[in-house]
Amino acid sequence: MYDAPNLAESQVTQDNIKISARNVQVFYADTHAIKDVDVDILDKTVTAFIGPSGCGKSTFLRCINRMNDTIDICKVQGDIMLDGQDIYDKRVDPVQLRAKVGMVFQKPNPFPKSIYDNVAYGPRIHGLARTKADLDEIVEKSLRRAALWNEAKDRLDQPGTGLSGGQQQRLCIARAVATAPEVLLMDEPCSALDPIATAQVEELIDELRQEFSVVIVTHSMQQAARVSQKTAFFHLGHLVEYGETGQIFTNPEDERTESYITGRIG
Amino acid sequence: MPLIWLIVIVLAIAVAGYVLGRSRVMAATGGDSRKLHSLPSYYGYNVALKVVLPSFFLLLVWLLVQPVIVNGTVAADIPQSAIPEGSSRDLIMSEVRRTAEGLDNAVAQGIMTEDFATNARSDLNDVTQRLKDAGQIVTAQVTQPILQAAQRYRIMNDTGNLILSLLVILVAAAGAAWSLREMRPEFRARNVVERVVKGVLVAAASVAILTTLGIVLSLVFNTIEFFRLYPAGDFFFGTAWSPSFTGRGGSSELGVLPLLWGTFYISIVALLVAVPVGLFAAIYLSEYASPRVRSFAKPMLEVLAGIPTIVYGLFALLTVGPLLVAVFGKDGLGWMQAGTAVMTAGLVMGVMLIPFVSSLSDDIINAVPQAMRDGSYGLGATKSETIRQVVLPAALPGIVGAILLAASRAIGETMIVVLGAGAAARLSLNPFEAMTTVTAKIVSQLTGDADFASPEALVAFALGMTLFVITLGLNIFALYIVRKYREQYE
Repeated sequence: MYDAPNLAESQVTQDNIKISARNVQVFYADTHAIKDVDVDILDKTVTAFIGPSGCGKSTFLRCINRMNDTIDICKVQGDIMLDGQDIYDKRVDPVQLRAKVGMVFQKPNPFPKSIYDNVAYGPRIHGLARTKADLDEIVEKSLRRAALWNEAKDRLDQPGTGLSGGQQQRLCIARAVATAPEVLLMDEPCSALDPIATAQVEELIDELRQEFSVVIVTHSMQQAARVSQKTAFFHLGHLVEYGETGQIFTNPEDERTESYITGRIG
Repeated sequence: MPLIWLIVIVLAIAVAGYVLGRSRVMAATGGDSRKLHSLPSYYGYNVALKVVLPSFFLLLVWLLVQPVIVNGTVAADIPQSAIPEGSSRDLIMSEVRRTAEGLDNAVAQGIMTEDFATNARSDLNDVTQRLKDAGQIVTAQVTQPILQAAQRYRIMNDTGNLILSLLVILVAAAGAAWSLREMRPEFRARNVVERVVKGVLVAAASVAILTTLGIVLSLVFNTIEFFRLYPAGDFFFGTAWSPSFTGRGGSSELGVLPLLWGTFYISIVALLVAVPVGLFAAIYLSEYASPRVRSFAKPMLEVLAGIPTIVYGLFALLTVGPLLVAVFGKDGLGWMQAGTAVMTAGLVMGVMLIPFVSSLSDDIINAVPQAMRDGSYGLGATKSETIRQVVLPAALPGIVGAILLAASRAIGETMIVVLGAGAAARLSLNPFEAMTTVTAKIVSQLTGDADFASPEALVAFALGMTLFVITLGLNIFALYIVRKYREQYE
């Protein structure tokens, strides 16, 4: 009991850093796509990756759940630690890692299944629900989380592809949330959506922060400023600047960051 | 005038029209092609098309109609007395045509003068002898009525050909003159040419459809003829197939059920082999294989599709049959009497169908967007979970289509059955017994020397019609399945 406060405090600081990357290099065949990236991503925080097209932000995002493994020519070097464990360690199964680090893609990609089956997909393959009632509850909770329940509750057995673009993207978010991940990676989740759907998804991201660490890649600086607490600016494969969102947007240290934010490069 | 010269002349007029039309319209604008509505070459094509199309159309119609008219007129002129007992007007007419052709060739060889060929009346022995000398096949003695008819036939054809040549050239020239008068700079030559191009494409599409229609109609009429001679109920519901080989015995039993059963049994065995193997091969090739393996494995698999089915038949007869007998025959389990059996044909046919299933399925699986797989991997699914639960459902309509296509092939397959399954029509559940299929029986009914008007021969058309309806139904069903599920992914 005596040590308790101390212990709790150290727990918090350790919990605070969810993902830490050190000296990460990524190669696509001969192209050096990511160079010496060091970054600490905090728990229960929205971190935005911004930067011009082709700067490597999506590539780095895909390193965090080893989605780059599916690309044959892609090679990753350096250390990425999730909760202190190297995710590129041989003992780590990428399948289990991806269950912990969920991902939402640029284009909504619902499976050609019913809305219910789309959301239940992850819980089913990971055995998260013991009974049908459990599964129903997970599906409902996830859809509510993704602010889709009211629109979808009467048509759960209809194909997910029949939804509108914004609804499809929220379905994909619900699908990712249902697997109970610890980190949620979002690769330009709003680039295919109209402003109203975008606003809904942004609101959702803010709510998701209560439970997950969210990493979002975005082209829209306004969006980064609206939803994130931390921002990282990538340029030509380098992580140029990383800090508090307010700091980056109002008072950037690096002149490249300033040029990008003010629209002079990009 | 030989036909080839006529065509050459028309084409020459067309080429001249092209050059003239082009230069005429260029001259009208003083050589500035920007003042034209269309490119100069379009004006040339416009003239050429208006020369070629009407004259060739006339040529085609004339060539189709002339023989009918000439034959009809000449045949009507042959006196009834000239037709011997047991013969018919048609037979006499074919002799007339042969004689006429013989006269033509004899003239060409210089054995007769044109005048002699046209006017010879009396000396039949001489005419016959001269024709024989010219190496023409003339049956026995040329008789007076036949010679007269042949001469008349020749004259009518000659006149017809002369008129045809004149008319065609006239039409070509008229087309050239008319279209050259149209050649003003503001004439919309390009639009006209576009319409003609469209017309040509429509014609090509119609040929395919009309051919299908023709095939169906020929089947239908012969089938109706068959049902006039043999009760339809016995055909569709009869359980025995035993055509009498004496021809007009009338004791044939022509029930289609044993044949249909054989067809389906063999097809099902074939599909049981081809679908799992083909599908798994497709999954391996599209999802697991490295590009290098894929680049040689896929063509290798597709080579299977190029092997003639008779070769598969030999494989069934010489290799698979004896192999099965060794295991299931008298020395083994004792289920099998001889190498020809449903199992033999089914297994070999299954091998033949593997590339159909695998190649099509592979293309379809590859067409499933990578985003689907990423979505599934991103949720922590393994490769096989992703394939089973996301990729295959998304590709299902196409895979069903591939399977039904393979089924159509299996139902229509003949050579493997003839060599692998035997010729006995039989209703049995034992897959190690010999059976036969609809297609194999069509062949055997038509290759015998049975009278073509007997039910034993005509039944082939009824069988063909049945098969056609079944495969048509299968194809429609395949289309329906594909349409129904297509909307499920983009």
